[in-house]
Amino acid sequence: MIDFLGDVVAWFLDPAHWLGSGGILGRTWEHVQISAFSTVAAALVALPPAIWMGHRRRGGIVAVAVVNIGRAIPSFAIIALALPISIRLGLGLGFWPTFLALFALALPPMFTNTYTGIAEVDPALVEAARGMGMTESQITTRVEIPVAAPVIVTAIRVSAVQVVATATLAALVAWGGLGRFIIDGFAIQDNVMVFAGGLLVAGLAIATELGFAAFERRFVPSTASRSTSEDLLADVTVAPQHG
Amino acid sequence: MRNYLRKSAIGAVLLSVALVAAACGSGDGAGAKEGPTITVGSANFSENALLAEIYAQALENAGYRVQRNLNVGNREVYFAALESGDLSLVPEYVGTVTTFLGGSASSDSDATYQTLLGLLGDKGLTAASYASAQDKNGIVVRKDTADEFGLSKVSDLAQYNGQFIFGGPPECPNREFCLIGLQDVYGLQFADFKPLDVGGPLTVAALEGDEIQVALLFTSDGVIAAKGFVLLDDDKGLQPAENVTPVLRKDIVDAYGDDLIAVLDAVSAKMTTEELTALNKRVGFDGEDPDAVATDWLAANVG
Repeated sequence: MIDFLGDVVAWFLDPAHWLGSGGILGRTWEHVQISAFSTVAAALVALPPAIWMGHRRRGGIVAVAVVNIGRAIPSFAIIALALPISIRLGLGLGFWPTFLALFALALPPMFTNTYTGIAEVDPALVEAARGMGMTESQITTRVEIPVAAPVIVTAIRVSAVQVVATATLAALVAWGGLGRFIIDGFAIQDNVMVFAGGLLVAGLAIATELGFAAFERRFVPSTASRSTSEDLLADVTVAPQHG
Repeated sequence: MRNYLRKSAIGAVLLSVALVAAACGSGDGAGAKEGPTITVGSANFSENALLAEIYAQALENAGYRVQRNLNVGNREVYFAALESGDLSLVPEYVGTVTTFLGGSASSDSDATYQTLLGLLGDKGLTAASYASAQDKNGIVVRKDTADEFGLSKVSDLAQYNGQFIFGGPPECPNREFCLIGLQDVYGLQFADFKPLDVGGPLTVAALEGDEIQVALLFTSDGVIAAKGFVLLDDDKGLQPAENVTPVLRKDIVDAYGDDLIAVLDAVSAKMTTEELTALNKRVGFDGEDPDAVATDWLAANVG
């Protein structure tokens, strides 16, 4: 066991494993690329409808059910199904089928939590804002989104971490990313490489988690820092004069 | 009095039924073999799983207790299982397995087989007779590629170094009969290598869709003929003899003796390359169920 861990440390200390297109840096960058692309795409598709439906507090159950298909179908199956279509459309082997699977995986948490976050904003606030003469879209942008912001960012964070962990599947369809260390290591029974690959993916997932947490602390106002709804109401009643 | 007679009559009938049932139960047919269960395993591609199923059914027909553990993985995985006793028997290919064990293989099936036996002995393993059926690594291109670049043999690829993308199993860059040999023996350089699967649907789809121009498939795979691919001639003899050879644990042979080997040999005697290719086509292309195909083939050829 100690020998094995020693081998793993030695693997990380070998500079040849870091550089080059197949090195740790290259593969990490590929992994970040496909994870970020899929998460951002899913956010762009999930958030607007979720916010709109959440504001109207309608259609949620059906939408959530539809969106959960992305979670129900295993990502691996999505890749296998998308692959022949991707080849036939001339879109290549690895990137687009994997993107589709990661997109489908990232969508449900972002949609569901955003919808719930918006829909569950204190109705008193929404009523007060309406009473002040704010338009529906003003209510959404000035009241609901800021109040629900922590929930929304958390949803994106959860999706992003899941996507990073699952992007290893790209290696099964001849693409890159950190999954290459795991798949190629397994093919030649190099357990050190497999383990190192696993560590790298876990490390990247944790880094994603911490990165989002730091972002949240810095940029996202937490409702927990406000003591009562009255304080929030006070903020809201002030807002239109600044508008 | 009548009650007592009736009860003893019933008792006697029940006793005789029980005795007959016990006698029938233990007899279980003439072939029931006492001994360790034979765990038949295979590599993770359909031809090997089919061969394993055929040997497994042949053993079952002869009365041996058989368990299957197919599609275990690639050679590093299943050979370790064979050595540890988790598997008892695996259908191997004489050239590649000899090289895997550190020996040297050639196109001489007999000589390679003898070398193999020596290497297996050190590990508590042995081999039954090899079949005439061979399945070698095949370097394959599409027909339009072959026509456009005038390719008929592997050495023709050397003129186009750096132009083609090669696709094969992920372990290919580490294999003497794959990329290493293509580079050392043929001097080939590919533009890129795509790690796909072991001569399976992923590789075929990639070749058809021109994601790769040169692929590693298997010579007994019906898909080559079915898709109109061109199998390039191995003119420098990189690929050694690859006769199908059942490799098994010595302790299994010791437990059952020569009868066991005879069952395996009877199957191998009828397994030619033509038979194997036809079997692959039925399972891989016509979509027939491997278990049914195995039963069919055994009934028709071994009886």
